[in-house]
Amino acid sequence: MERGSNFPNAANAASTMATATATTPTSTTTTATAAVPPKRKTTMELVQQRFKSDEEVQLIFEAYQIIGQEHVEGLLTLVSSSKGGTYALVSFTLLRTPLTVSNDLKINKVFPINKSFQLTKDAKSSITQQQFDLSTDDERPIKYYYHPIKTDMESVDYEEFVAHIYSCKKSMSSAETHEEKVLNFRWLDDYREIGEVKQELKKRESQYIVYRDITIYCATWNVNNRPCWENTSSLQPWLARGENAPHIYAIGLQEFETITKIMMLNSNQLQMYTSQWIRKMMENLHTENGIEYEELMSVRLSGIILAIIVRKQLRPHILRCCIHKVPRGFLNAVGNKGGVGVSLQLNEANLCFINSHLPAHMENITARNEDYGIIENDMRFEEEGRPFRTISDHDHIFWLGDLNYRIQEPPGYQRPGPMSDASTFEQLLQYDQLRNEMRHDRCFRGYMEGDIKFAPTYKYDVDTDTYDTSEKQRAPAYCDRVLWKGKRIEQLDYNSVMEIRQSDHKPVYAIFQVQIKTRDEAKYKRVQEEVLKAVDKRENDNQPQILASKTVIDFGLVRFNEHSTRDFNVYNNCSQQVDFKFKVKDAPINDICEKWLRVDPCSDSLMIDSERSIQLRMLVDPNSITGLLRKMCTTRGKCDFDILILHVESGRDIFITVTGEYQPCCFGLSMETMCRTNRPICEYRQEEIKELMNDVSPEYRVTMPREFFLLIDYLHKQGDRLRGIFQSYDRRKALSAKFNDVRDWLDTWSEAEFPGTPETAAEALLLLLDLPDQALLEPFVKDLLISKSKSEAMELIALLSPPKRNVFMHLCMFLREGIERHDYELSNVASIFGRILLRSSEYAMTIDYANRCSEFMRRFIYIETSDAIVGGNGHGGATGPSLQT
Amino acid sequence: MARHFDHMFKLLIIGDSGVGKSSLLIRFSDDTFSGSYITTIGVDFKIRTVVIDGLRVKLQIWDTAGQERFRTITSTYYRGTHGVIIVYDVTNGDSFANVRRWLEEIQNNCDVVNKVLVGNKNDDPDRKVVITEDAERFARQMDIQLFETSAKDNLNVEDMFLSITRQVLSHKLRTASDEQQKDRIVVSNKKGNRKSNKCCS
Repeated sequence: MERGSNFPNAANAASTMATATATTPTSTTTTATAAVPPKRKTTMELVQQRFKSDEEVQLIFEAYQIIGQEHVEGLLTLVSSSKGGTYALVSFTLLRTPLTVSNDLKINKVFPINKSFQLTKDAKSSITQQQFDLSTDDERPIKYYYHPIKTDMESVDYEEFVAHIYSCKKSMSSAETHEEKVLNFRWLDDYREIGEVKQELKKRESQYIVYRDITIYCATWNVNNRPCWENTSSLQPWLARGENAPHIYAIGLQEFETITKIMMLNSNQLQMYTSQWIRKMMENLHTENGIEYEELMSVRLSGIILAIIVRKQLRPHILRCCIHKVPRGFLNAVGNKGGVGVSLQLNEANLCFINSHLPAHMENITARNEDYGIIENDMRFEEEGRPFRTISDHDHIFWLGDLNYRIQEPPGYQRPGPMSDASTFEQLLQYDQLRNEMRHDRCFRGYMEGDIKFAPTYKYDVDTDTYDTSEKQRAPAYCDRVLWKGKRIEQLDYNSVMEIRQSDHKPVYAIFQVQIKTRDEAKYKRVQEEVLKAVDKRENDNQPQILASKTVIDFGLVRFNEHSTRDFNVYNNCSQQVDFKFKVKDAPINDICEKWLRVDPCSDSLMIDSERSIQLRMLVDPNSITGLLRKMCTTRGKCDFDILILHVESGRDIFITVTGEYQPCCFGLSMETMCRTNRPICEYRQEEIKELMNDVSPEYRVTMPREFFLLIDYLHKQGDRLRGIFQSYDRRKALSAKFNDVRDWLDTWSEAEFPGTPETAAEALLLLLDLPDQALLEPFVKDLLISKSKSEAMELIALLSPPKRNVFMHLCMFLREGIERHDYELSNVASIFGRILLRSSEYAMTIDYANRCSEFMRRFIYIETSDAIVGGNGHGGATGPSLQT
Repeated sequence: MARHFDHMFKLLIIGDSGVGKSSLLIRFSDDTFSGSYITTIGVDFKIRTVVIDGLRVKLQIWDTAGQERFRTITSTYYRGTHGVIIVYDVTNGDSFANVRRWLEEIQNNCDVVNKVLVGNKNDDPDRKVVITEDAERFARQMDIQLFETSAKDNLNVEDMFLSITRQVLSHKLRTASDEQQKDRIVVSNKKGNRKSNKCCS
């Protein structure tokens, strides 16, 4: 789009262009522009290309945004619209730098500079990172950044940018208070909130837009306060002219009743008056077979009525319709003068009809011009949830009425005698005030009027075709007119009706053929589908993607307390930066992976074509074994160690299966499971041990786990070497170096000498008791915690499964011996073992939980002085034999 | 970015591994078909915007891995789903038998009621083992609409997706108008209360 030279800033733009070129070595003088071959367009020119001819780019400012972690180059441009009389900041994203074509500019946001517009400097601004926020219309502020040094010479400095914005805002708010001019931001609708689909559909409009001819019949009559019932003659000569029945009638009346009478009538009566007139109109329309009319909308302002009557078949194509009134006349409010309007949308076209009655009398040209200007400016058609629409916001505008412009004959002019032929009218029209004012652009700018080939319509003696014979001898004039504005309008007829004589005015009508922009629904549907498909395809194709080198990570044989690592790569194979992360899983995991796994890194960004290695570390230790065994038991089929969810930001999820074979081990197994084994645990496979774990039969191969017995047996034989063991226990503590040797010694039922020390044996014993899913004394932990005596507790102990009961009794006997020999301290042992055997996450938080655990243990391992022994003797003695099993 | 749609729905495709879930999605979103089988390891999605009764409906369609080992993890994707497409393979009786289990998954994991049953690979009568009558009887019993499709030959795929979309859309519009109805009732109740208060005083 080439800019016309009449634009005020053309010179300005040329000079900035010159400054820009001056920086390049090829051009040394600014005057040589004409000699230089076609040059690259400047940023300013490219930006201007994105706007319409009545919109002007005032300045550009380089600003960038940070979206995600991406730095997005952009331009903020201050644009003014002469049509709307307003300013806006339009924010562009630069799809490519340096800019070469205007298509590299993509609008991402529009900020109308209205009352709510805000530019706030961010307090976090620093020398290296300067930032500010823009917001408008109560939307969330959007952050922009700028470089301290601009790269484009045309761009303004931040200070200049802010100063301009403030002055625009100031001028807007002062204009809004005056309300002299209708300010609007409607022009921005073409840029704002347009998704790709809308843009694309607009671009392809020609593929589905067709123009349909319709006939519009405009009619105006000043009825001189004569009620319609006095009007017995037919109105058909006025309303049923032309060959075809029109699609839309716009019929305007003026002076439909005297203002004094109107003020006396109540609203019902007025309504009735209006209805009678409209009924009269409806009765006198074109009659054509099969065509019916209905009143679409009518509006009345004192004596000014405008009725829009449409063919019934047209009704569904009228998508919206609204009215507005601009009263003028006495005190500018009474409305005996002024204008009324109807705005409607027919298919894709916006139509506007105005009926106005402008001030009378020969000398009042300026008043008429003024009233026209006010009606033109103040007519605002408001629809809910949309910015209002002014008259000029319509495609087709029809203005009719008693405009009251007179024939201003020069002094001494001899009016031609009988006014009957075209040449006489032509002579008269030379002095027509309206034509003269329009010629000088003093009113109805841009409006058209057809040739007038009829006699002046005012002023006649009522019931005659004779011009005013009264004392006043008013000069004949073309008061009653029909004007139009807009594209694709052709006037078919424009005439007055002499034979209707009830008023001192003759009625006037004009018939138009208008090409209405219409969507061909079938074509539109097809185009829309194509556009949607293309936009969807782009979205699908632009989905961030990464490739994982493996989706199954096999750890092979995994052993208790031995860590191993595996890694795999993720690769960015799409055309954009990709962020990925491992997704946090639902409760009860609440983490990206199970406890026996570590993933590093958990999240990262991948540049295009880059790769990243992800390491998985597996360790089944005292803290995770319980969970792993539980998972194995409850999973149908072979249990994977884990499935990680590798999530690509705004893209797909990839499942990474972590698998392998867990080498069963005694730690973590329940006493019952161990009592079911018939060979060393190391000889079992994962699936086999799972079967044993899920076995609930009350049959056991041994009375007590061999692994437990071996440990106790070893410790029992250590005598003095036990001194100082069972000092403390912490499941989270790192295991001793020799631990894995002890593990293998137990899992293989080794005949060899115990590979560790009494300390490692003690450690292994505690873990063996502590790691099973259930505490040793379950399911009676709760009852045992509140039991009052050893005998009471014993009743419950007797109900435990035989392996558990035997382990418990055997353990107590062993501990008692050590205490007796002062190998270890009663209080330590009672506290450590009590908490293990009565482990309970449910009660661990209760105040005296630790005390109750110790107290319970004490009852079983404390050797009392003689009198105390008597107390516990009965039961202690009774349990004695069972220890010998 | 401006919205270019009137409604947005999330659809989920589930069913045994290898029944053609991804193929159905690719056929619907890209109108292509590839004979080579790549098992979905994870959850993929595609979008497509369709026009129904003049309304633009943007669909985000999630294609899930069908393998048994992913069952627990895929169930977390049911959340926020508006419609579910349960797919079986007409040439594989087990995949049809498993539909019941998939229906249970839906029951357990989401509260949507909109679903369709799809018998895919309906392009080779010789290999078909799940006969239409049986599938129809089952579908009627479960109160689900049945579609027999072929992603390969592009049979019924578009219709099936449009049908579930219509279902979801009308469900949403119905619920929305119910909500409005409710609001209206609340308002009138208030008025009623005020009146009765007046009577009392």
